[in-house]
Amino acid sequence: MQGYILRKILSLPLILIGVSLLVFVSIRMLPGETARVMAGPEATQEAVEAMTTRLGLDKPVLVQYWTFVTNALQGDFGESIRSRKPVWDEIADRMPYTVALAVVSYIFAIGIGIPAGMLAAVWRNRWPDYVVMIFAIAGASIANFWLALLAMNYFSVQLRWLPLLGANSWQSYILPAVTLAVLPMAVLARMTRSSMIEVLSQDYIRTARAKGLAPRQVYWSHALRNALIPIITIVGLNFGGLIGGAVVTESVFNWPGIGRLMVDAVRYRDYPVIQGATMVAVCAVVFINFIAEMTIAALNPRIRFD
Amino acid sequence: MTILSTARKVIFATVLASVSAFAMSASAETLTVMQIEAPRSMDPGDQSATYTNALLAPVYEGLVLRASDLSLAPGLATEWTIDESGKVYTFKLRENVVFHDGTPFNAEAVVYNFERHLNTERGLAASGRLRTILDSIEAVDDMTVQFNLKSPYPAFLNILTTNSAQQVSPTADAAGNLGAASVGTGPYKMVEYRSGEFVDQTKFDGYWGDNSNSVDDIRWTWSSEPSVLSMALQTGDADVINPVPPVFAATIEANPELNLAVSPGSAVFWLSLNVESEPLNDVRVRQALNFATDKEGLIASIMSGYATPANSPLATVAEGYRADLNPYPFDIERAKALLAEAGVPDGFTMSVVVQEQEARIAEILQAMWAKIGVTLDVRRMESGVWSASAFGDEKQKAEEGVDSVIASWSSGVNGPDLQFRPLYHTASFSPTSANLGFYSNPDFDRQLDEAAAMTDVDARNKVYGDLQELINTDAPHVLLYVTQDLIATRDGVEGVWMIPGGLVRVDTVTK
Repeated sequence: MQGYILRKILSLPLILIGVSLLVFVSIRMLPGETARVMAGPEATQEAVEAMTTRLGLDKPVLVQYWTFVTNALQGDFGESIRSRKPVWDEIADRMPYTVALAVVSYIFAIGIGIPAGMLAAVWRNRWPDYVVMIFAIAGASIANFWLALLAMNYFSVQLRWLPLLGANSWQSYILPAVTLAVLPMAVLARMTRSSMIEVLSQDYIRTARAKGLAPRQVYWSHALRNALIPIITIVGLNFGGLIGGAVVTESVFNWPGIGRLMVDAVRYRDYPVIQGATMVAVCAVVFINFIAEMTIAALNPRIRFD
Repeated sequence: MTILSTARKVIFATVLASVSAFAMSASAETLTVMQIEAPRSMDPGDQSATYTNALLAPVYEGLVLRASDLSLAPGLATEWTIDESGKVYTFKLRENVVFHDGTPFNAEAVVYNFERHLNTERGLAASGRLRTILDSIEAVDDMTVQFNLKSPYPAFLNILTTNSAQQVSPTADAAGNLGAASVGTGPYKMVEYRSGEFVDQTKFDGYWGDNSNSVDDIRWTWSSEPSVLSMALQTGDADVINPVPPVFAATIEANPELNLAVSPGSAVFWLSLNVESEPLNDVRVRQALNFATDKEGLIASIMSGYATPANSPLATVAEGYRADLNPYPFDIERAKALLAEAGVPDGFTMSVVVQEQEARIAEILQAMWAKIGVTLDVRRMESGVWSASAFGDEKQKAEEGVDSVIASWSSGVNGPDLQFRPLYHTASFSPTSANLGFYSNPDFDRQLDEAAAMTDVDARNKVYGDLQELINTDAPHVLLYVTQDLIATRDGVEGVWMIPGGLVRVDTVTK
């Protein structure tokens, strides 16, 4: 077990170096000049060129990468081209908002998705199952962006129940968190359903029933516990998807998180911010996946470590 | 018991403090303005975007100001003279003006401001235009400055009202943090800039003018999603939105809590034709495309009617604009005849590069031109990609097969030269400037250069009138429409005004 963890931990820096190189090069390959985008449409070519030089964008990509890595190792991600603030400060300002939103929407997703999936499995091929699966299919296919606008129009503009924009009170969490939770909620419901159905057909469940255990005990203690292993994998892996969804959701709701920062940064070709924010997001995903793997390993004795 | 009562006191004090903090924040009037785009820089001289200019306008001033009736008015200069050559401008500066950081405003500060643009090593985004006009600037005495132009340029006073000529604090600029924190002389000073959320401005106590009759604070926010702007106005999250998406104009007008203001704009939308590319090198083909364009239909479907058909390369608010021109009435038959004359009776295929937000224009043109046999290959692009493609040089465009570009241009009320020169002068071939289709006519260039130096307004406008006809005949663009500026406010917000082109002014607002 310890050797397994150690190997996993040692592989993390390699993953990060690979990812940083990939991010750096692919951003540089994006068509479109930063200097022209920043200078605005009316800028003359002379102004654009002067700005390119000022930003150091005329240097070879590898030179730019080396500068980025050496500075990043000292905790310096550079300065945002647009806001002129250190990238690290920008990220540190936004990170708590994204984490808070992700946590709240995960609570929604898990709190509703897993029980709904169980319900569907227990009432398999009967109406509760159909209802849950219709919602799950709709939730997995609906465009996050469109759902956000619909929800805003209905709950904020028409009913005036919830705040429209920003992150000013606990109520402001509801719409963005629910919008963001819809996809993982749907995935979890379907995953829980199939995992539960598989577990419920096992011999030990039959035995438990035969022993005369109450259905609640059978489902919650015996079945769910074993059905959870694939579900945790999904929860962990889905975290990356959640960050992807946050990019859209945060932009629509003016949520001051990393997602909105990234969208603005891409629009203005603010390279230092795109690099910094992407690296932080990647680290978060790698870290969460690592935790998920460790949890699964601890839960499932069938996984061998050596 | 003691502990409990202490805890109670703490809770009581906290509640009281938060209530009074709430009461304080409620007593200070804050105007919230929401725009479609995030600011690009807090330094007015390092960007050239209309919405950023609007956001910076309460903080910065130029030597000359644009008044709400759109006339030129004394700003940080009280008077000025122009010598007979038309090349030497002398300005008397306003006394007792200070920047928000306490730096005194004087001739030295003005010289510093313009020299930072003349310094090519600075690479400020908005320097280009000043550098082509201005030769040097010097302090005559502590409160007098003299500008020496390269050649006479009557629209120079207009230029002085624009972003590149806004006076920034030399102290703040030298410290290098102007990009993140504005420091000007205006009626409002910047308090905080949170790049993902807002820019806060508050009234400047040391302002030289009278700023007592306007709101205490201004908060600027932004969203790139048009429907969010409209919703924010309805819920009161925004007091002013700029611009109003035309599709939401009717909803806003129908709501008694909201007001919609419509004024003539200055953005001319067009499709620039690459005159190097066949068969667009034939003027008859270019004219045919103009005849085949139903501008009214386009305006109805794209702008919900809030635009005027473009009959000239100039916007209706521009100096010297000619309303009497109607060169290309919608006429399919004439378009077909011209194509036949040009030897392409069955039409041809051409490409257009267009940004996402203007893609609908391209799709409608595609349908309209199909009727004369022209197949329009629409290439939708993200804006950064689009600008790289639209501003390519002749070789690049030939390689990529870029036959046309959809874009718009707005010179506001700053003189036709700023519309004609970047779009049609031979020296403005892209990527240098915005002559995206490589139109070149020595006769046009000569007349434009002559007009730029004419001090007699009538004579100058006569030339501009001729130039409008000339561009219409040569048809390097398919001229589409001139937008109207739409802004909306919540009821009770008074004093918002607009410089044509989308630059909203809110520093005189009461709420």
